[in-house]
Amino acid sequence: MPGSLLSVRGLSKEFGGVKAIQSVDMDLVEGVVTALVGPNGAGKTTLFNLICGHISPDAGEVQLAGRPIRGERPHTIARLGIARSFQDLRLFGRMSVRDNVLSALEPTAWLWQPGGRRAARARLHKTEAALERTGLSALAGARAVDLSYAETKFLSLARILVTEARIWLLDEPASGLDPVSRARFVALLKEAVAAGVTVCLIEHNLDIVTELADRIAFLDRGRKLAEGEPAAILRDPELIGIYFGEPRR
Amino acid sequence: MLILQLLASGIQTGVLYGLTAAGFALIFGATRVFHVAHGATFVLAGYAFVLGAQAGLPWPVSCLLALVVAIGFGLFMDAFVYRPIQRHEGAFFTVFVAAFGASLVVQNLIQFCVGRGSVSVSTPLTRASEILPGLYVAPVFWIAIGVAVALFALVTMFLDRTDAGVALRGLSENPELLRAFGLSSRRLSALAFGIGSAMTVPGAILTAATSGIEPAAGAHVVLISLAAAVVGGIGSLRGAALAGLLLGITENLIIAVLDTQWSEAAGFLVLFAFILFRPSGLFGQAVRR
Amino acid sequence: MTAYLLNLATLATIFGILAASLNVLIGYAGIFSVAHAVFFGVGAYAGAQVALNLVPDVLLASLAGGLLSGLLSLCLALPALRVRGEYFVAASLGLQMLAVTVFSEAHSLTGGHGGLVGIPPASLLGIDVSSPWRFLAVCVGALTLSLVSIAILMRGGFGRGLMAIRDSESAAEALGKNVPALKTIAVAIGCSLAGVAGTLFAFQLAFINVESFTLEQSVLLMAMVIIGGAGTLLGPLVGTLLLLLLPAVLSFIPFIPATEIGTVQQLVYGLAMTLLMIFRPAGLAAPSTGRR
Repeated sequence: MPGSLLSVRGLSKEFGGVKAIQSVDMDLVEGVVTALVGPNGAGKTTLFNLICGHISPDAGEVQLAGRPIRGERPHTIARLGIARSFQDLRLFGRMSVRDNVLSALEPTAWLWQPGGRRAARARLHKTEAALERTGLSALAGARAVDLSYAETKFLSLARILVTEARIWLLDEPASGLDPVSRARFVALLKEAVAAGVTVCLIEHNLDIVTELADRIAFLDRGRKLAEGEPAAILRDPELIGIYFGEPRR
Repeated sequence: MLILQLLASGIQTGVLYGLTAAGFALIFGATRVFHVAHGATFVLAGYAFVLGAQAGLPWPVSCLLALVVAIGFGLFMDAFVYRPIQRHEGAFFTVFVAAFGASLVVQNLIQFCVGRGSVSVSTPLTRASEILPGLYVAPVFWIAIGVAVALFALVTMFLDRTDAGVALRGLSENPELLRAFGLSSRRLSALAFGIGSAMTVPGAILTAATSGIEPAAGAHVVLISLAAAVVGGIGSLRGAALAGLLLGITENLIIAVLDTQWSEAAGFLVLFAFILFRPSGLFGQAVRR
Repeated sequence: MTAYLLNLATLATIFGILAASLNVLIGYAGIFSVAHAVFFGVGAYAGAQVALNLVPDVLLASLAGGLLSGLLSLCLALPALRVRGEYFVAASLGLQMLAVTVFSEAHSLTGGHGGLVGIPPASLLGIDVSSPWRFLAVCVGALTLSLVSIAILMRGGFGRGLMAIRDSESAAEALGKNVPALKTIAVAIGCSLAGVAGTLFAFQLAFINVESFTLEQSVLLMAMVIIGGAGTLLGPLVGTLLLLLLPAVLSFIPFIPATEIGTVQQLVYGLAMTLLMIFRPAGLAAPSTGRR
């Protein structure tokens, strides 16, 4: 597909006989927001785990800008510019909000980060900017476990935002947010997309999907049933039936 | 004939190890508590039996006393140590440290009150007779095997046939259920601790009756249980029992070739190798990293 | 009396280094090792051998002890990379039990149960530092150096990486942390510091045997870190002081028979560990948790 930044071909994964993902093809096109939609257990999170290298696929290919990344370790894939969030957030609970974000900018495992004082100051600046944008500046010194629910959601986003990754894979980033926070969240995402970030998000709330997504990929029981414009997908009675859990033949 | 003799004593040790380890595995599988104080249960049961017998109680009453003490201690740990910890952070290491502390308390309390030497009861059942040329076997050998097999069968049947047992097994196969269903998980975990603790009693009594039991014996028991549970595949009762049996036999057989000091180390080498190369154990499912 | 106090102070500093080094594993990296006495022992034996056979130079011996412990720490790093939680605790237990057997059986290296005796008085770059005051100064210097380097490392990106892994390994990976490398380096740092402490210990006692490097010692170290407060800079020191002073304090209580002091001491350790885990799992030195 033209402009495809991340392409997934024939990806499959089985867990003890259960086909979690069955030969899925998907393209994330530069600057386009794709929503992964489907009932629980459709394999959406598994797809993220496969792309990011947290689990290894049984078959299939994943390419980032033409470069095969299947089989790479998760941290390598992250450094190539794919950032992801987790449904259960997985914040660094006992670290401060600032350190949660700052840590995302320090990839080296060696005792010192490269670049010396100046680079350290630059990382700190970026961190403060990310906190500012997500409205967490006042909480920079608080521990992540002490944040409120909405704040943890924004911290999770701040960790990704600061990395300047080209691709964001977001796992239900806005679930459970109150309307005000949700509006802020959507605005932040739109800003990022306008700045050239390619986003793929798993989302159950169809309002958010219609508001944000340019494309929808519909997953059910490990298969991609359809992909296309949101309007077309959301008008398909069969898909909507599956989505809202109508009894299947 | 030395080998045969060692094999016999290995089997006797092994079945008791296996039973104790299965109790540990049952508790871990159902509640995800790494019950390091399992050894303390063992020691307490042994002392209850010995002190009861020394006080002149008839032996069935002493056995019952041991059973009550073991179950009581297991339930106490569950209700007053593990559950309060799991209520807040519940990090497994917090549980581990607390359990280790409790074992230290039990060991040193017994040392303080009873003394640090080993205690035992003498019984004609340990008098060995020659059943084959050069092979001496005492009645406790058959008792150990009989009791261990019977009790293990009983527990397995309970887990297979009754609703509570099936629920317990369900928990051990899918720990998420514990959280998802939340219902009666308290009673189930108490049940697991009760049964698991009761499974230390035969080993404790027979150890007290044969070689004697000492306050520090708990550490060895829990290390064996833990090793057996890991080698057998955490959560698998059969695996733990079999691995316990094998550890007991290895420990005794290895004396034929190496110094006794190495017998324990051999067990731990096996444990270490299993964790490195086959962390799912003999019978376990793959471990989620 | 002064000699007694000096000895106690020196031991406290040495155990301070040990607890601080274990804290790197437990408190920062979330690697719950119950085999730390092994690396303490390796450092002690290596340092003692250098002192006995080459020169009794503290610096050289510590270097050897630290280096060897750091190298052998791969035995701990390997399971730390492959398994977590209970499995890792079990693996480190296995390592601890194996090491005790090796320590007591490898007579040519460790002197077996008899241990290594007659470790010569310490010198430092040609200066005699064997007097109690001077050796205390050397140990305090080593402790300060360890604490300062741990503080610097843990406040920087390296420490943040470790703590990120401790709090969520998968999220740390997803943010580009090289988890195996970070863990291996953390284990190496913690274990080589333990090795240095071991060398100092060997010089202080002039005699070492396997008794000091058993599972009980590992658990005592663990208790120091946990009771003081894992993941804090000064917590392990608080824990060390408390647990080392305990026997001294107990010996002043009149109704405990002298022969039972060890038992009572262990009893108190155990009780303290259990109660703290129930009521204050973050340790004594940790700030109380703010809850919302």
